[in-house]
Amino acid sequence: MKLFLFILINLININIYHYQNNDQLYVKIIPLFDNNPIQLSKANKDSISIETLKFYLTDFCLIKSGEVVWKEVNSYHLIDISKPTSLDIFFTNEVKVDFDEIQFLLGTDSLTNVSGAIGGDLDPTKGMYWAWNSGYINFKLEGKQNSKPFQFHIGGYASPYPTVQKIRLKTKKNLNIAFNVADFLNQLNLVNQNKIMSPGKEAQELSEILSSLFYINEKE
Amino acid sequence: MKRNNVIIILGLFSFFGLAMNLTFKPTPIKIEYPSSWPKPVYNFDNNPLTQEGIDLGRKLFYDPILSIDGSISCSNCHLSYTAFTHVDHPLSHGVNDSIGIRNSPALMNLAWHNSFMWDGAVNHLDVQALAPISHPAEMDEDINNIIRKLIGHSTYRESFYKAFQDSTITGEHLLKAISQFELTLISCNSKYDSVMLKTQVFSMQEERGYELFKKDCSSCHAEPFFTNNQFENNGLPINPILLDLGRYNITKKKTDSLKFKVPTLRNIEFSYPYMHDGRFKSISEVLNHYTNNIKVSNTLSNKLKSEIKLTSNQKVDLTAFLLTLTDKKFLFNKDFSFPLDKYYPDVEKKKKTD
Repeated sequence: MKLFLFILINLININIYHYQNNDQLYVKIIPLFDNNPIQLSKANKDSISIETLKFYLTDFCLIKSGEVVWKEVNSYHLIDISKPTSLDIFFTNEVKVDFDEIQFLLGTDSLTNVSGAIGGDLDPTKGMYWAWNSGYINFKLEGKQNSKPFQFHIGGYASPYPTVQKIRLKTKKNLNIAFNVADFLNQLNLVNQNKIMSPGKEAQELSEILSSLFYINEKE
Repeated sequence: MKRNNVIIILGLFSFFGLAMNLTFKPTPIKIEYPSSWPKPVYNFDNNPLTQEGIDLGRKLFYDPILSIDGSISCSNCHLSYTAFTHVDHPLSHGVNDSIGIRNSPALMNLAWHNSFMWDGAVNHLDVQALAPISHPAEMDEDINNIIRKLIGHSTYRESFYKAFQDSTITGEHLLKAISQFELTLISCNSKYDSVMLKTQVFSMQEERGYELFKKDCSSCHAEPFFTNNQFENNGLPINPILLDLGRYNITKKKTDSLKFKVPTLRNIEFSYPYMHDGRFKSISEVLNHYTNNIKVSNTLSNKLKSEIKLTSNQKVDLTAFLLTLTDKKFLFNKDFSFPLDKYYPDVEKKKKTD
């Protein structure tokens, strides 16, 4: 009996020790409007308010001297600004490698788009799936300018207009990745271009702009 | 000490009881089809069929809980006794008496399809159900709302647990269950199939029809599925009210204008009316279209560029062949029809004891 208790207590201890000592690497996503954190449904100085900001970041890997040294398995993350916990991406396994670059995809690759029903962050209940033209919405931004709505649902996986974009950022340790929504909206004329809901050339062009806006935030 | 032993034994019992519960193993099912058929396109590794999964899918298929007002189930437009189409209805029906723009397609041998809907809007069987669920002229419902309703239902959580070992109902499992049932809808027991297996022979008339079929029809309606799964413009004049451009709506390519997915001809005897908008009521109207009324346009199928000529006797022969594609075993399969025992277990029990 004593032996049994001894083993049990030790097992519990090992578990606690394991969790505390887990040196987990994580990426922090910092969505900004100009230099401020985005406040949902609150108009800023340009009378723009953001109501929805959701996008997929997938296929995370770390690179050293141009070679992939670590790759996340099943790497799919839905970033949703209305759910603050989604902004911190914890990698499930321990990562102990030196790296000088981080690489990920903005959006989902074509294989994911033709693989049927998938769970977790890719579950069709997440509001990021097109029922009448199968495929994921890779990036969703909705809001208002002077009470006039804008809606950008950017997706499409098929050639010639795939919208998934590879992003590679130089960094040795800091994994705070910022993204300025104002930089995106400033490149458009919201009066003429305020809606996109289907794949095509325009969606691809917008996805290129979006992918150029991610950067390592040096402040934090 | 004796008392301690009893406690330990009881503890072990409850532990194993719990462990067994947690590892409930569903019954694996393998689909059966003729050995001459190609391998299915559907990847069963991502959604292994189980009796529990199929049962759940069947229950969902027949449950109007999927529609916004609880009035329409999948089976409203896909009736088992008519090869899972809406016989005698040219266009699909939906909630609030709404009428869609296309004829509900027959459902069979879906594991061999790589696109769905008349225009190929859907690229995988699993996600097909999302389309009718969300369409305002069909079920007009939101998948999250369906899940809320299923969670509140008296039996669904248990059914999901049995099928997927997870009582948390997810969109993925909801869709995969519906797929599981649909994947079992295999039609491979028609007279044609028996002839191919050499267990039966065609009549002389059917044989003549088969030869005509191979010459004039099989380039699109390819054996053994009687579709090549491609999109073709079969020379129908555009319906002036519906103005449906078919595949073009999805790809936005001019070369896809007026193209629709080639439908299977299996069970054609029961799947009328025909064409994407259900414009033809009978097989003879269809044959007359192909022989006399092809409308030539830029995107007309290459396979229809040379005229199809059939005498009236030949049309009768061809029709006789087409009727050999009727699969009564499929049409009247009790495993595919309304699962009375799942909805009213007491009634079924009573019937058995009576």
